[in-house]
Amino acid sequence: MEMDSNTDCSMPISNFGNLTRPDGSTIYSQGKSTVIAGVYGPIDVKPQKMLIDRGSVETFFRPKSGLPGVGDRLYETIIRNICETALVSTLYPRSGIQVVIQEMQSGGELISCSVNAACLALLDSGIDMKFLIAAATCCLDQEGYLIVDPTELQQEKAKATFVFVFESSEGRIVASHTTGTFKLEQYEQALDLCKKGSAKIFEYYRKVINGKYNKK
Amino acid sequence: MSKLRDSVVSTCEKKFLLNLLKESKRLDGRAFNEFRDLKIEFGKDWGSCFVSLGETQVLAQVSCEIQLPKSTRPSEGILYINLELNPIAAPQFEAGRQSDLSVQLNRILEKCIKDSRAVDLESLCIKVKEKVWALRVDLNVLNHEGNILDCASVAALAALKHFRRPDVTCDGENIIIHTYAQRDTIPTVIHHYPVCISYAIYSNGEIILADPSLLEENVSEAQLMLGLNAYKELCGFYLGGSASVSADVILKVTNRAAKRALTVIDQLKEAVEQDDLKRQQNEEIGFQHSHSFSKDLSQNGNKLADILNAWRTVPTKKKKTEVKPEIVEQAKVEPIGKGNQSAVLLPPETENSPWNVSSDESEETENSTTNKTTNQNNKQEIMEVSSGSDSEEDQVIVLNAKNKMKKTKTKTKK
Repeated sequence: MEMDSNTDCSMPISNFGNLTRPDGSTIYSQGKSTVIAGVYGPIDVKPQKMLIDRGSVETFFRPKSGLPGVGDRLYETIIRNICETALVSTLYPRSGIQVVIQEMQSGGELISCSVNAACLALLDSGIDMKFLIAAATCCLDQEGYLIVDPTELQQEKAKATFVFVFESSEGRIVASHTTGTFKLEQYEQALDLCKKGSAKIFEYYRKVINGKYNKK
Repeated sequence: MSKLRDSVVSTCEKKFLLNLLKESKRLDGRAFNEFRDLKIEFGKDWGSCFVSLGETQVLAQVSCEIQLPKSTRPSEGILYINLELNPIAAPQFEAGRQSDLSVQLNRILEKCIKDSRAVDLESLCIKVKEKVWALRVDLNVLNHEGNILDCASVAALAALKHFRRPDVTCDGENIIIHTYAQRDTIPTVIHHYPVCISYAIYSNGEIILADPSLLEENVSEAQLMLGLNAYKELCGFYLGGSASVSADVILKVTNRAAKRALTVIDQLKEAVEQDDLKRQQNEEIGFQHSHSFSKDLSQNGNKLADILNAWRTVPTKKKKTEVKPEIVEQAKVEPIGKGNQSAVLLPPETENSPWNVSSDESEETENSTTNKTTNQNNKQEIMEVSSGSDSEEDQVIVLNAKNKMKKTKTKTKK
């Protein structure tokens, strides 16, 4: 088993507050993928969705063309589960937190792009979080090589795709999402690679937040 | 709890804005007929376009698929326009649900772009009665700061102009779709560009604001939305709300809008050309190189500070060159006392006041205006270029009679 040398991932780019309406917003680009994320919260919530002991998290993933389908619902669920883990929702009982992700351009690793954008938007909105989250994608090609930060084409042809989400405080796994078939050692290798990838994302978060608050 | 099911404007905000307008000032420092900055950017995919008008932002994406044509029009392709009020744009927007606003905007856009036959649908035909291309324009509103319509109409047209569909060949029975890599792609044929230009009307047409912001839109008595192309042809007309505006005011506004339409269309065409040039020279394209990532945009908080710094409590004389004569007259309005805490502002000549600030009477007038609103909404006149007739020789409404001959020629040209 060899590692692909395609590890020189281009650094993500982002900007805060380009939308005026949401409480927190970010435009985030990683590789060829670009998403816009907006967060409203804490806001009022429909009675049927209200939780007495904590805030309810609602996520929307909007594709750029067509109506949202089953795949987009899956993305929504993944992102919602991750956000619920990261947020201190007990601080916002009987209210809602709404995370909206709009796909702008799709070029592979859209899930990790969306998760990272959601994290930055939540940071921008000032909602309490237990820790930061960073997602990284890795895929297994037909020859058994692992590719970090795959392009859309590589992802389409891949035998298996791994998405791992890590937290910042102790580096534990928050979420693991896989498709396709793979061996256990390949999974572990992918986990290692993605952990390295996520460390870079955390570094990047630190940099942008520093840049945001230390302007003057 | 910041989320409100409907955007409500408080009375003090409303009064403040109206008083400001009487001093011929706007909240964001624009002149009355000044529009916000329009920016057009394209993504890496064909037909993907991001347009911002001030802070209002719309993302458009065109997609295509092969479909059975409509039985009434077997040789024409199909164009769908779908404007989605994304929950990211404003807290009261709900995902996947049609609100009154989205239905209204969709209808106006459809009338403006589809019914004016801006896109050549016959060129989308592959095989008569069997297979035609169906183009679908998805418009996602990202940020609602007023005047979604103008922004969306530009986004839709720019995306359509930018879009390329794959080539198809037919060998008797089968239709082969060639991928983008195999064969050159085919651009969409667009005859003319009907862009929407919106105005907000106050005090029965005395004050008319171009490109209203969200607050201005909510406070306005009536909204005027015009669809115009570069040939000064009226492609859509919508007057909502309740203001008794005279016909010549509307005509004047329409003439002004026609000039604006021309600049917008020029900008649109130039943006598409520049993107084509970039693609030809194999430059990096896509939203990752968008201006939205430049850092100076993220200082929205400072914009308000800038405006407040430039604010002067002493009214400046003739600060704006574009101030219309009506407004200067309106500044002469004399306050007439009517006892404690009430004052009725009357324009010098008219008998019945267009609006009054009295707290007692305001409710009454509000009731009557809502009645009027419903009446007015029922008879929303919409003038279109094609009034449902099947013939190609549609009636053309030309604003400037001088150019009539020229216009009809351009219209019949395929």
